[in-house]
Amino acid sequence: MTDEMTWIIQAQHGNDDAFTNLVEVYQKPVHNLCYRMLGELEAAEDAAQETFLKAYLNINRYDCERSFATWLLSIAAHHCIDKLRRRRINSVSIDEDEEGQIDIPDHSAPDPESETLKHQQRERLQNCLQSLDPTDRAAVVLRYWQDCSEVEIAEALRLTVPAVKSRLHRARRALADLWEEKPAQMRHERKPYGSPAF
Amino acid sequence: MDHRPFEDWLLDNQTLTTEQKRQLNTHLRVCSSCTAIAEVNLALNSVKELAPAGGFTDRFQVRLGAKKKALQLRKYWGLLVLTLSTVGILGWLAWPILKALIQSPVNLLASWITSLASLWAAIQAITRTGAVLFKVVPGFIPGFVWMVILVTAVGWSLVWVVSLMKFTKFSQGV
Repeated sequence: MTDEMTWIIQAQHGNDDAFTNLVEVYQKPVHNLCYRMLGELEAAEDAAQETFLKAYLNINRYDCERSFATWLLSIAAHHCIDKLRRRRINSVSIDEDEEGQIDIPDHSAPDPESETLKHQQRERLQNCLQSLDPTDRAAVVLRYWQDCSEVEIAEALRLTVPAVKSRLHRARRALADLWEEKPAQMRHERKPYGSPAF
Repeated sequence: MDHRPFEDWLLDNQTLTTEQKRQLNTHLRVCSSCTAIAEVNLALNSVKELAPAGGFTDRFQVRLGAKKKALQLRKYWGLLVLTLSTVGILGWLAWPILKALIQSPVNLLASWITSLASLWAAIQAITRTGAVLFKVVPGFIPGFVWMVILVTAVGWSLVWVVSLMKFTKFSQGV
């Protein structure tokens, strides 16, 4: 039996320390998914915490034959989708993105310019991502950030595999359209003191 | 400009042969729409995970403690409301009896004893009638009818057990 399965079984028997171990392991993917979905660090932190609380309260409903990661990410994705639908967040200021994160381009790296370019591309992608439909956004984040297969995405979002394929296809098309439009807008949106990194 | 099949190759993330890659590269030099899709694919394939700020687990434990406290408080309040409501409803239902008991306890007790005696007599009569029927009726019903009744009862029990198992199965959703 793996460590993870041991922790899950212990958590199902009310062991809080075992659940804390699961939080330790999954905090990064869950937080990342929430951030990519909501676009704000504060909201992402809150959503990630809520996801783990929901998981803690419903740990006895988890079926050990299925992937724990998919179950957890499914809770996170649905929490964020609900939040987005309730608040109708359609656009998020890029100036707030990744504020306070140690994510500055490494100037000692062989090619700082290419590092900066990569950061700008990530920023541009995050900006485009915020314009997608919440479920399409969740599918894209699960596919590219969490490396989930189409079957896992279908399981997490309670969709069929063809529906996931269709959503990913549509999302890539929409992202490409936004990608063509966004650069000009971004130049206007950036504050004069904005770091080229973020 | 005709984007096919290049757009489909890019949007479906298809694996391409060397010749297809060469054709795609040639097309990308002149097509900004397909270039945008290719750039998005490239950006999506080089994304990185963003970690939460340090102390996430500690913050979770604090939040979990607060949530547990809130749940406990809600449980106590729920129990209190339930107890008070039950006492209130029982008091309201029992009020006519209590009132009669306070006003004339002897009359009330006498009426209760009469009722109990009538009930006892009724039970005895039903028991005797039942005993007579139990002796007489089986002689009128043929054996195969008993078999049909038995099979129906077993089938019905099975349907109940299967239904209960199906409805009590846990779902995965939260």
